This record gives sequence, C-alpha cells and structure tokens, in this order.
Amino acid sequence: MPDAKGRRIALGCEGSANKLGIGIIAHDPLTGEAIVLSNVRDTFVSPPGTGFLPKDTARHHRAYFVRVAKKALAASGVSIDEIDCICYTKGPGMGGPLTSVAVGARTLALLWGKELVGVNHCVGHIEMGRAITGASNPVVLYVSGGNTQVIAYAEQRYRIFGETLDIAVGNCLDRFARTLEISNDPAPGYNIEQLAKQGGRVLLDLPYAVKGMDCSFSGILGRADDLAAQMKAGEPGPDGEPFTPADLCFSLQETVFAMLVEITERAMAHVGSNQVLIVGGVGCNERLQEMMGAMAAERGGSVYATDERFCIDNGIMIAHAGLLAYETGFRTPLEESTCTQRFRTDEVFVKWRD
Amino acid sequence: MRLGAFPFPAKVPLCPSVAIADTSPGPDKTKVRDNQHPQRNFTRNQSQTHPLAIGPNPKICQLMDPTSQSPPTKKRKMASSTTTTSTTTAAVEQEHQFPLPPILTHPSSTPPILITQGAEGRLYKTTFLSPSIPCALKYRPPKPYRHPILDARLTKARLAFEAKVLERCRREGVPVPAVYAQNAAAGWIAVEWIEGAPVRVKINEWLGSRPKNEEEEREGANKDQGPLVELMRRIGSAIAGLHRTGVVHGDLTTSNMMLRPPKASSSEQTNGVTEEGEKAKLLEGEVVIIDFGLANQSQSDEDRATDLYVLERAFASTHPRAENLFEHLLESYKETFGKKGVSVLNKLEDVRMRGRKRSMIG
Amino acid sequence: MALETLHIEHVPADHHVYGALFRDVQNVDFLQAQLIGKNPEFEYAFIDASVIISRTHLLAAIFRALNTLTEGTLQTPNVHSDIVIGLSPTNNISESYRRYGLTPSKTRDVLVIKVVHPKVSSENSTVQTQTPESIWQHLTTHVKGTSVPLTDEEFAKSTDWAKVRKYYKLNGVPGVERIDKQDEEGRKREMEGLVVSGIALRGL
Repeated sequence: MPDAKGRRIALGCEGSANKLGIGIIAHDPLTGEAIVLSNVRDTFVSPPGTGFLPKDTARHHRAYFVRVAKKALAASGVSIDEIDCICYTKGPGMGGPLTSVAVGARTLALLWGKELVGVNHCVGHIEMGRAITGASNPVVLYVSGGNTQVIAYAEQRYRIFGETLDIAVGNCLDRFARTLEISNDPAPGYNIEQLAKQGGRVLLDLPYAVKGMDCSFSGILGRADDLAAQMKAGEPGPDGEPFTPADLCFSLQETVFAMLVEITERAMAHVGSNQVLIVGGVGCNERLQEMMGAMAAERGGSVYATDERFCIDNGIMIAHAGLLAYETGFRTPLEESTCTQRFRTDEVFVKWRD
Repeated sequence: MRLGAFPFPAKVPLCPSVAIADTSPGPDKTKVRDNQHPQRNFTRNQSQTHPLAIGPNPKICQLMDPTSQSPPTKKRKMASSTTTTSTTTAAVEQEHQFPLPPILTHPSSTPPILITQGAEGRLYKTTFLSPSIPCALKYRPPKPYRHPILDARLTKARLAFEAKVLERCRREGVPVPAVYAQNAAAGWIAVEWIEGAPVRVKINEWLGSRPKNEEEEREGANKDQGPLVELMRRIGSAIAGLHRTGVVHGDLTTSNMMLRPPKASSSEQTNGVTEEGEKAKLLEGEVVIIDFGLANQSQSDEDRATDLYVLERAFASTHPRAENLFEHLLESYKETFGKKGVSVLNKLEDVRMRGRKRSMIG
Repeated sequence: MALETLHIEHVPADHHVYGALFRDVQNVDFLQAQLIGKNPEFEYAFIDASVIISRTHLLAAIFRALNTLTEGTLQTPNVHSDIVIGLSPTNNISESYRRYGLTPSKTRDVLVIKVVHPKVSSENSTVQTQTPESIWQHLTTHVKGTSVPLTDEEFAKSTDWAKVRKYYKLNGVPGVERIDKQDEEGRKREMEGLVVSGIALRGL
C-alpha cells in the first residue's frame, strides 16, 4: 500500500555475485520521481591471486543478509508496513549466492506478509541507470564480471545487439589482476585502473577481436598473461626496453575498452541513437567513460554513466526495476520464486515502457 | 596526468560519471532525410545539426560525485528523466559539418554527399574519375577515443582487408561493389555505387504495409509472406556464395545488404512506389552484400557459423516480426552450399548454445 | 589541336593533365631513347595503347599516380613514370615498364600523358613548354604518328585483349565466366572493373 505521501515503496535484494546489496526505493506517482531511501552493500573480498568461489560467496551472503537488511531498513526511515513488495534477483548469476539471497527475500516476504517480485539482474542495471542519469532511450553497454552486452530497447524488450563470444570483459580484467597478483580490495578492476594511470610508455600489442557487434576477450587475456610471464622473466618489450605491470594494465585497458566503444558505436549507428548508457561494475572505470564520451561527442551525442554506488551490483536497482514491474501488476508467487543462473536480458517482457 | 602520456587528437572533457545532456534534435530529421538519398538514409543526414552540450549538469555531477563513497543519505532525490532534461537544455546548438577527408577537398563536378556516419567511418556519395561514374567513398577518420598507435594499425589493416576481400569476391562472381581506388594509410576506399535500398529498409517497408497483428502472423498464413520468403532465400544463397569464396563478412546485418533493383526500372522509379500493384515489386532485386570493413578470410565452419549467428541476432532484433522467416535463409544457404552448408549449420547450433550458456553468469 | 585536357574528379585544381593518342607511330625507338637518356624535354608518360581497354582504365592509373604525387609517395623518379607503372597490378617495376611502356619495333600506337603541376614548374626551370599549346607543338614535332581522340572507340581499336587478359589475370575468372558468352559488352564491363580494382589494389 502507498505510504502517507502516496508513494510506492520496494525493498530489493541482490546477490548474484560477490556483492550482497539491499536497498529501499520509493516511487512518487505524482512527480514520476524515484527516490533512493537506502542502499547498503557488503562485498565478499577474496585474497589477492584468487577469485571468489560460489560456495564461500553464498556463505558470506547468508551470514550478512540480516545485518544488511536491518541496516537498509533503519537508514531508509520507513516502517515495515509502508513497504509494498520485496524484490530479489532471479538471475542471471552464480547459483549458490543467488539462492542464498532468494531464501532471504522469501523469508522477509513471509515474515512481513509482502508480495515477491523476481527481477532480471541486467534489467535492474539498465533501469537504475536510466533513472539516475535521465537517459531516455539510450544504447546500453552492460559491462561487469559476468556480462558484456550491448543492448537497445525495441518493442517491449531490451534486445541484445552485441555481446562477448567468450568471457566477460570484467572477468578478463579480474583474471589478469590475479595473474599480476593485484589486490581484490576494493575491486580488482579498480586497482587495474589505478595502475594503468602510471603506464602508457608503450602500447603493448594485444589481439583486437571484434566481430560485428560481438567481441571476444579470451585471446587477449591469453596474450596478456604471456606478456606478464615475459615481464616476470625480465624480458624486454617490443622496443627493447623493459615494461612494467602498469604498462600491461594500460595496454589491456586501451585495447579492451576500444573494442567496447567500437561495438557500442556500431550499435548506435545501427539503431540510429546517439545516447549511450554504461552500466555494470566495469562501467565505473573512468577511462572507459572518457573513451565512450569521446566517441559519443563525435557522433553529436552524449554518454551517461553512474558511479560505484549504482554501477556495482546493488540492491536499489533490484528494488527499482522490481517496483516498475510491480506497478504494472507483475508478481512472483512464492512457489515460483526460484532463481536461475541463465536469464537473458531479452527474456523479460518490459511492460512499463512504451 | 595519465593522458599526458600520449597525445590524443581530441580530448573530450568529461567529468567522471557525468551525463552530458542531449538536447532537442532541432529540425525535423525525418523530413530532411527524405530529401536526401532516400535509399540509404538509415542513420544520418548530410547537414545534421549536432547539439553540443556545454557542460555537465551540475546537479547530476553532484549526485554522481565519485568521491563520496558513503551510502546515499536518507531520502536523497534522484533526477527523474523530466527534471534532467529541463535543467540541461542550456546547450548550444551548433552547425556541425564533418571536415571532408583530404581526397574529397579537391574539385569534383558535384559536391560529395555524406550518406551515413557509420560506426567505422563516413560514407560519401561522390564521383570517380568522371562525373558519370558515381561511387561510394568510405572514410575512416582517426578515432579520438582510441590510442593513436592502435588506431592507425586497425584503420590500415581493415581497409586493406576490405579492398582485398572485395576484389576476391568480385573475381569469384559474388555480387559486391567493385573497388575503384584506395589509400589505406590515408583511411579511404572508393567503391562502386550500388543503386537500390538496404534490405533492412525494404523489409521494414514490406512489414509495415502488412497488418500489425503479431498473433495472426505467427499463426502462419505463409502464403502472404511469399515475396519475403523469396528474399530470405536470395540472402541465404548470397551468403553461401560469399562463404564459398573463403570470405566471412564479420558484420552481417540487413543494413549491410543492398537490394539492387532490376536493370529495367531505374532507382528513381522504384522510389515512388506507392500503388498496390507496385507493392509486389518491393522486394525484387539482386542482393548485393556491402561494407566489408570487418571481413576476414576464413574457411572454418566456426567462423562461417559465427557470421550467420551475428546475422541471426541482428535480424531478430531489427525485424522481430519476421524472426520466424530466418529458417528460410538458412535453408537456402544450405542448399546453395551443399555438404559444407550442412556442417556450418551444425556448427551454428553449437554457437547458439554457447550464446545461451553465456547468460548463465551474472 | 588534338591535345586533350583530361578532367579527373578529385584532383587538385592546380594539377593539369593532358593526353594524346597517336596511331602508327614510326619513331618509337627515338621516343624510348629520350626516356632512357632522361631527356628533360621528354617528361611524358608514354604508354603502349594496346594494353589500354578504355578511358576509365587510363584515368584510373593516372588518378592513382596523382595520389601518390600529392601524398609524396612516388615510387619512381616522377609522376609520369608512376603513371606507367600505375597501370600495373603487380609491384615489379621493370616488368611494368616493359609491359605498359614503349617497346621499340613492337609498339604501334602510343598514348602520351603530360601532367603539369606547380612543383614541376618551379623545380624544372629548363622546361618552358608548360602550356597546352607548347606541349602539343612539342609532341607533333617529335612523335611521328597520326593523332586520334582519346575515346573508348579509339582505344577499343588498338586493344590487345590477349595481353590485357594475361597482364590482369583475367583468364578463367569465375566472375567473368559466369556472364553469358553472348553478352560481349557485359563481359568487357566486368573485366574493366577487375582491371580498375587491380590498379587500385597494387601494393596491399
């Protein structure tokens, strides 16, 4: 039921990867505004040189769910009665962590007598990005540890125009961070970005793999790993001079981001749009935003990006996208409140857009 | 600081995490486009005005300030789409004409016309050698976002490849534009001008002229779709011909295929098609594959299947209402290509499966 | 006057191209000797007309050479010799001179191309013959042949298709063979396209 001010309120739970996030959002039907009431996150950080395993991540989410939920509720200032629905990430993502959070969401729904709304993680990113930036109908570049997609809206669906043909760009960066044994705190990608700022003396030659609006990163990672091995063995670079981890990070970023900007530009040309929205964890990267901005400006358009609070997986985006669906009458009955590792962006019927 | 390490041709000031406002598009684009080359106006027109934002919206800048790592405070308001646009309309509208590539700055009988600003470059309609030979000149300008070394390497390699692949196809009898001239280092290639319209436009015209009842279409009544099925078959066989020469296109979409009208009717006449009797002719013509900017030489089933997969997805997203007709394209591909075609289509199954698998990680 | 000004699209305004076609030239050996002796008064592109199929074919080679001139990437001593090798689809320069240039006692019809551009006039002060009139006068004085217009019809009369097919590798090409044998014009048009591409692609 709407609160005293006539607003709809949703609580969203996200845990498809190593971030556990719970957020509370309000939609004001009069102004059309979406208001973030709280957005709390706790990240499972694994030691340098390692990735996060589903089992450990799921354990983390189970252990922190109640703590994070309480914190989000307290920060929002709303009472349990005012909440209309509980939204959770149905997928895609890692099975264990997804399930842990789904169980948490079901518990809250049963405990408080609320209805459930299962949300597609990617659609959550897109809708939050649109709401935050005001981009009305952008081409969306969704880049994270698990996904690399170029998406545009058409006829009630977010359609995937291009995507990675193998690993996600974030996965490529994360794994290279492991190769270099860079810290995973706060995030491997962030640390690569900082290191890359010190590089740039040379641009090391890496494969450039774009096929239409699709791209591929595994070959690049393989080559970067080889170069890292050469560097550790003390071998010089192509110009005969030694190169550093910073040069490697710089070259990797320049290459993979150029590919991402290129496929985005191709999609923009294809659909005739000049707005681009970057979402997902890798979207925090300022170099990527800068390159995208240069491309968009040349096309007479604009780039829209958000910061780490909304780019990186969070609960508020699940609450927001869930509430949009809820307002169109969408519900997820308890017996259907499962989650799924595979859940393509274009499977969601987007009833809330024209 | 980090940018100082190498010079970018154009640095675009971009406040981190900022939305640069997009403003109202100015003149009615649709109308302007119609005056232009009506067959190829699918992305941009010649004298497009580019609204240039003067700067980031301070409100959003503040909201997006990346230095604030703390969770948002209680009841922080986000800009909804309406408030964003209203606060950022203070943008300067500026006549934005792309500088011509040097080769086109020299005199010609008619001025070059910018047809599209594609992803890889700009396509001009101009003349080759004499005023009576129209040509398409593709110019790949330096990309300001790309590292200059990487940019030069890619531009040159892609143009050279494009030229070689076109010539190879042409010699093998695959209908593609002939190469007229090129300067890979300077970033341009001039090819034969193909009359007609992109397949994408033609299919949409065709679909647009039919009842929009999705159910009805899905139910079948394939008899109505005869000409479209026929076109799908011609596309399939054109791609098979291409693949047979050892070339994969790398960017197959319905925008990258032209429907060249039969010689008897000039393009001028086909443009004016409105009458019922003429509608049947809408999808007539030879399928000419264009834009080999991402082409590669390959004989592998994997690459060929990926080529088809790229088209399949582009087709589904561009023509959702005709998605079910894609099988006709594949069928004709297989028929034209014979045994090889069968193994490519088997591989396509694998590629599709991988595509679905990819969505498993969040 | 039978010296023709050749207007080519997208060529700098201060570059002027002139051409003339002479039939049954009696002094090919003399002309060839002037080239070998690097006589500055004979800065022309002398082309064996039997390898030319059409005006478009010729202009494509000139256009390519003018491009290398403006880009400063000439492959031979001057733009005129670059026009001759510009006809070739291969990188073998001496073979190109042999095939497309003059061959004493073999070449009968001679195509002459003259490019006048600011750089030449300033560098080469000994050469004063830079107007169409003076060029024509010089040519008629030294080329012993009958001048005919540079039209497709005239080119067709002297084209040696066996040589053209060999030089541009057009024998047994599916793109040509798939065209109906009766459609002579269609086949020639397709071959012209391949010849032009061959010129465009050299060096890639």
